[in-house]
Amino acid sequence: MNSEKPIVQMRKVCKRFGNIKALDDIDLQIYPGRIIGLLGANGAGKSTLLRNIIGLYLEDEGACVTFGCEAKKLGPKELGRIGYVHQEGELLDWMTVQQLIRYVSAYYQNWNRELEEKYIEDFEISTKVRVGSLSPGQRQRVAILLAIGFEPELLILDEPAAALDPLARAQFLDLLLQIIQTENRTIIISSHILSDVEKVIDHAVIMKEGHILLDSSFDELRERFSRVRISALGKELPAELPFENVVHCKRSDGQAILTVQDCPREKLQEQAKSLDCWVEIEALPLEEIYKIVVS
Amino acid sequence: MSILTVNLKHLYQRRGLWLVYVIMVIFALAGIAVLFKGPEEPGRFIGLIVLAFVVGLLFAVLPLEVLSKPFSYCLPGHRKMVRRFVFCVGIFFNIFGSLLFFVYPSLNAGQLILAVCSAFFAGLISYLIGAALVFAARNSVAFIGFLPVIIFAGQFFDLHTVLERVIVENPLVVISVGVLTGCVVWVWLGDEGRARRYCNVPWAGFDAWNPAKMKKISRIRMAGKWDKLKKYTSPRMERFFLGRMNRYNYVSAGRYIWGALYAASVVPVLQLKSILSIVIIVILMSFFLGYMGLAATFMFFFMPMIIVMNMRLPVHSSMLISGGRRERFAGTITAVAIEAVPISVVAVAMVALSMLFKAIVPEFTLREVTFTYRAIGARNLFVPLLITPFAFAVRLIFYRKPIYVMSLLMLVIYLMAFPEIVWHKQFSAMINLISIIALLVLGWGTFLLVLHHVCMRRSLAGNG
Repeated sequence: MNSEKPIVQMRKVCKRFGNIKALDDIDLQIYPGRIIGLLGANGAGKSTLLRNIIGLYLEDEGACVTFGCEAKKLGPKELGRIGYVHQEGELLDWMTVQQLIRYVSAYYQNWNRELEEKYIEDFEISTKVRVGSLSPGQRQRVAILLAIGFEPELLILDEPAAALDPLARAQFLDLLLQIIQTENRTIIISSHILSDVEKVIDHAVIMKEGHILLDSSFDELRERFSRVRISALGKELPAELPFENVVHCKRSDGQAILTVQDCPREKLQEQAKSLDCWVEIEALPLEEIYKIVVS
Repeated sequence: MSILTVNLKHLYQRRGLWLVYVIMVIFALAGIAVLFKGPEEPGRFIGLIVLAFVVGLLFAVLPLEVLSKPFSYCLPGHRKMVRRFVFCVGIFFNIFGSLLFFVYPSLNAGQLILAVCSAFFAGLISYLIGAALVFAARNSVAFIGFLPVIIFAGQFFDLHTVLERVIVENPLVVISVGVLTGCVVWVWLGDEGRARRYCNVPWAGFDAWNPAKMKKISRIRMAGKWDKLKKYTSPRMERFFLGRMNRYNYVSAGRYIWGALYAASVVPVLQLKSILSIVIIVILMSFFLGYMGLAATFMFFFMPMIIVMNMRLPVHSSMLISGGRRERFAGTITAVAIEAVPISVVAVAMVALSMLFKAIVPEFTLREVTFTYRAIGARNLFVPLLITPFAFAVRLIFYRKPIYVMSLLMLVIYLMAFPEIVWHKQFSAMINLISIIALLVLGWGTFLLVLHHVCMRRSLAGNG
């Protein structure tokens, strides 16, 4: 059990859009100091969950509490601690980037000008251009800058990297790691690009059709799911391999690749010793874990 | 199944078209009924030929929508599909329309056949003009707005009679022109470069009621406009608003009210060219509406509705600033109040200008009809102020369903216009001052209640 107080608590939250249940009985607690990856296919309910946290959506049933306040009652005091990047990136198009930054910064007491200048330089944002004429990638960089300029305690990123090019994405991930260096910062990031998310998250929440299928620390996940590569080194592989909890097995020409769930690494190594083969045990990439969980 | 058949299926698959069919059937039936029930006036056979223009204008949008989808560029045969689709619909509609000429009086069998053929090609010309406009003009559907003016002018100058006489008395000329027009349009629509030009171009078409798509299209279109707009918010103006915001505490509503004021009021100032266009339109409208009599007041119903439909409301903004629901409530009231100002200014300007015009413009007679300028009554000034809160309330309730908003507002406009149509009495003239005040209080009170409900109890972004 975590002794810290959660900054977000969702209890039995349900949210419907007509006949579609976007969130179904969601129980979730988010503790400070983590980078949480919110993963799921389109329509899994990720954006709905994030919008519930900041009070843009109201739950039909259950309760959502953010920073100790009911999400629907969040005011400037609480929202001044939350940064949010929306996947559609709505901004005021008629302002120049500089004007928009000045406008948004006027709402935050702790806007950090030095940080703003640093990100403008790092992200190569042209400040004299009108927001409406920015490319989707540049627009997203501005949205990210606006969300982090006041050093929020909770940063919510809804598909933030979708419009970014590979270089900007790498910069962005570095930035997230820098942000999390500061104590008690929390980041929730929803993304489809699992290989990117994998580099930064320390906690994963996997959703499907409005349900949370998995809510676990990333270390635990990597411990739970392993890949075992076996090579018979020119000989025949035994017909029965001595591993338990195999969820997937691919064999060909004296070689086998197994995916194993809920079996400690030490036990796997023990079991591997009984084979007269070359065996390599490694953690499963997030993408593979995701596929197993959602299927 | 052929490519043409697949595309023709859109005619019933697009639900947006069903309403169009209902309206068109009503018009077609009215056009047919005139032939059998109405007085035997010359020009009465022209109805469906005029309707062919509208059909062309509406249905040519369908292949264009397909062309604008990136995948269609690589689909075999799709580049030539446009003209086949356009001509297929046009030929079918005009065969139906031209058959009506079989009941044309006092013609022998040979003349009747020629008249029917002539009517077919006349209808085809009308249809192809409509279809060609779709490909030639960016906002072709706007031409439908001019249709009542064209019909009115046509009737006033007896163009419908002339056209009917040409069709019946000079069939060979009409058929020749029709064939020639058909050939030219056939070749023109066959241009393969068109598929390249329209590929991946944002196109609303019959998806104009899809807010997400419209938002995306509007953003892409506006990007080009913003590039051209060289004027920026003046530093003085920015300093003024930011200064006012900074006078208030970070958790105070005052900061959000001034913020909303800044966001809502700067755009019109930037678009000075648009303001000049509005001034010119107001002057022209005040001039022409004075001659139209009671119909002039319709402008007072439509103007606020159009403005409200196009306004950005802070209540549903997904750009997160530190303001909560209460702050959104205060900000939206501010934005709406700001928007009510230009509506009132335009209304007052139109009334004042019409009074001025009344004193200086002459009465004149044209084709035995006397046109007298009548000033727009000052009592009408309350109409936009009544429609504005109502339109805002409807928009807040159905903000994800613009078609509901439009339908409801049109219904209210028709209800308010009912006394004019039936008793030839202005709605504004039928109620006294106390009723006006009561209606205004009720309208704005309802808007505030709806806004409060939406801000406090409804989801504020996306599908909620």
